[in-house]
Amino acid sequence: MVAAAKPKPARSKAKKERAKKPAAPKAARPLVDALAEAAWLEADLALAEALADFDELEGARDDADKAHAMVLLAQSLARAGRKRGLARLGILGATEPYDPSRHEYIAPGKPKTVRIKARGVARGGEILVKPRAGPSRRKKAL
Amino acid sequence: MSDWTLCIDFGTAFSKAAAAPTGAWSGFDPQTVRPLMLSGHEQQTNPFLLDSAVFVDDARILFGRAALGQAAASSDKRRLPLRSFKTLLSVSDLDRALATNAPTSVDPHRIFQMRDLIVLYLAFLLQTVERAAKADPALARVKEIRRRYAAPAWRSGDSAGMHTAVLGIFGEAEAFRAAMGDRLLAPEGLPIDVITSALPKAAPAAKPYEMDLIFEATAAASYTSIGLEDAGSHLIVVDMGAGTTDIAAIARAGQTAFELPEARVTFKQAGDFIDGVIANVVLDSAKWARSPEQKTALWTALMRQMRDIKETVFADGRAALRHEGRTLSLSMRDIERDNDFKEFIKGFERAYAQSLAVVRDDAKARGRPEVHAIAVGGGAAAPFVRALIAAKPKGGGPRVAARPATPDWAHAPSFQGNLAPVFPQLAIAIGGALAPDDMLAARAPSIPA
Repeated sequence: MVAAAKPKPARSKAKKERAKKPAAPKAARPLVDALAEAAWLEADLALAEALADFDELEGARDDADKAHAMVLLAQSLARAGRKRGLARLGILGATEPYDPSRHEYIAPGKPKTVRIKARGVARGGEILVKPRAGPSRRKKAL
Repeated sequence: MSDWTLCIDFGTAFSKAAAAPTGAWSGFDPQTVRPLMLSGHEQQTNPFLLDSAVFVDDARILFGRAALGQAAASSDKRRLPLRSFKTLLSVSDLDRALATNAPTSVDPHRIFQMRDLIVLYLAFLLQTVERAAKADPALARVKEIRRRYAAPAWRSGDSAGMHTAVLGIFGEAEAFRAAMGDRLLAPEGLPIDVITSALPKAAPAAKPYEMDLIFEATAAASYTSIGLEDAGSHLIVVDMGAGTTDIAAIARAGQTAFELPEARVTFKQAGDFIDGVIANVVLDSAKWARSPEQKTALWTALMRQMRDIKETVFADGRAALRHEGRTLSLSMRDIERDNDFKEFIKGFERAYAQSLAVVRDDAKARGRPEVHAIAVGGGAAAPFVRALIAAKPKGGGPRVAARPATPDWAHAPSFQGNLAPVFPQLAIAIGGALAPDDMLAARAPSIPA
C-alpha cells in the first residue's frame, strides 16, 4: 500500500500553483508605458553613443580631435532628441521681435527685438525649452 | 455591428496591429486608439513590432524574433529565415508563387511550399494578435472585434480582386491556429513532425477568414484627416520605401473614400538607391581607401550605419561617422551634387507631377479647392520629399497643402509625448483601424458591399 502523501503546507501549494501558471503577460502594462518604452528604445542607443562621445571630447588631445568629437556628440544628442520626438525651435542668430512667451531673454531689460543665442526645444505643440535670446545689437563701446 | 475594429499591417520587416472603437471616426478621441503590444512579452524590443520571420530549423520551425535569433545562431550561415511574405503576397500570379517550393536556403528539408510557410507565419501572427488583444484592458472586455488588413493599393494585379485569395490563406492560417493554440507562441517553435501532421488537416477545415481590406493610402488618409474640420477631399500619398517609391491618391465624397487609379505611379527607385548614392559619395571622398579591401570594409561599415546616416543627414543637412579611427563627413550638398542623385530626383519629380496632375484634375472637376499631400514610409523625412510635397504647383487650379507625417492628434497629452516618436511605425495599422467602413477597398465575404 502506498503511504498517504504527507499534506504539504498550503503556502507551498499555492506557490506551486503560481509557478504552473504562465507569467502574466508583460503586455498588461499601461499603453502609455509601453509607448514610452518603444520610443526610448532607440533614443537610449543614441544617448549611450552621446555619453561615449562625451568621454572622447574630454580626452581629445588637440583642436582637430576636439572638433571631431564635438560634431559626433552633437549628432548623437540630436538623434536622441529626434527619437523622442523633440524638435528644435528657432534659428541660431536670427533676429526676432521679443515675445516673453516664446523667448528666454538672457540679458537684463526688455528689448523690442532679440537675437537667438540657443535654439529651444519643443515636442508637438509644447515648448519644453524656450529659445534663449540676447540683445539684437551689441552696445556701442563707450 | 462590431464594438471595435482591429487592423493588421502585415509589413515587410515587421507586422503591427491597432484597434479603435467602431465609429471612432465621428467624435474622434485620440485616447481610444489602442496599438497592440504584439511583442509585449519580449525583453529589450519594441513591444508593438512583431518580426515578420519564419526559420526552418533542423527539427522545428520558429517564428518572429525567435526565428531571427535562431537563424543568427545557426552554424550554417547559408540557411536563411523567410521574411518577404508581403512581397510574395503582392505578386500578380499569386497561386503560382505560393505553389513554389521554398528555396533550400530556407527549407533544407525540402518539405514546405511557400504557401505552407506563409500559412504558418499568419497562424503565428493571428495567435499573437489574439494574445495581445486579450492582454489589452480596453479590448479584453470587447465582445466583437471586426478585423481588417492593410495592403498597398498599387500592388501588381487587382488588389481588391486578390482579397479573396488572401482571405483563403488567412482562413487556412486560422484553422491551423485553432488547432495549435498557444503552442504557436512557444519560443522554441513548433516541431516539424507536428506541423506536417496538422497542416494538411487545416486546409480542408478552413473557411474564408472574415476580414476587410483597406488600402495603405486610405489608411494614411484616415489618420491624416480624422478629427479635422478642414480635411481635404483629395489626398496624394508618397510612400518611399526601400525598393520603390509608390504614389497613390484617394478622393473623398462625404465619408466615402475611393482611390484614383490613374494617379497610381510606381517609381522604381527609392531608399536602397539613395543608400548606394550615399555610399558612393563617401567612397569617392575617402581618398585614403585605395585597396579593394579598404573600399569593401568602408562600404560594409556605411551600409551597417546607413539608417542613422540618412536620418542625420536628412534632418541636419550633414552627418559625421567614424571608420577605422577616421572621422568622415557627408553633407546633403555632397549628395545633391551627385549625378545619379540628380537623375533620381528628376525621375521622382516626374512621377509625382504625373500623379499630382491626375489628382488636381479630379479635384478641379469636383469643384474642390485643395489637394492634401502626405509622405509616408522611410523616405518621409527626406528633405527632397518634403520639399516636393510642399511645392506650389504651377498654373491655376486646386492648391496643394502638405500635411505632417505625424498628425497633431498623436501629440495628445494623454500619450505623454510617447506616441508621436513611434507613430510612423504604427501609422498604417492605426489609420486602418480608424477608417470608417465607407473607406474600405473590399469587405469580408459575409458583409455586403
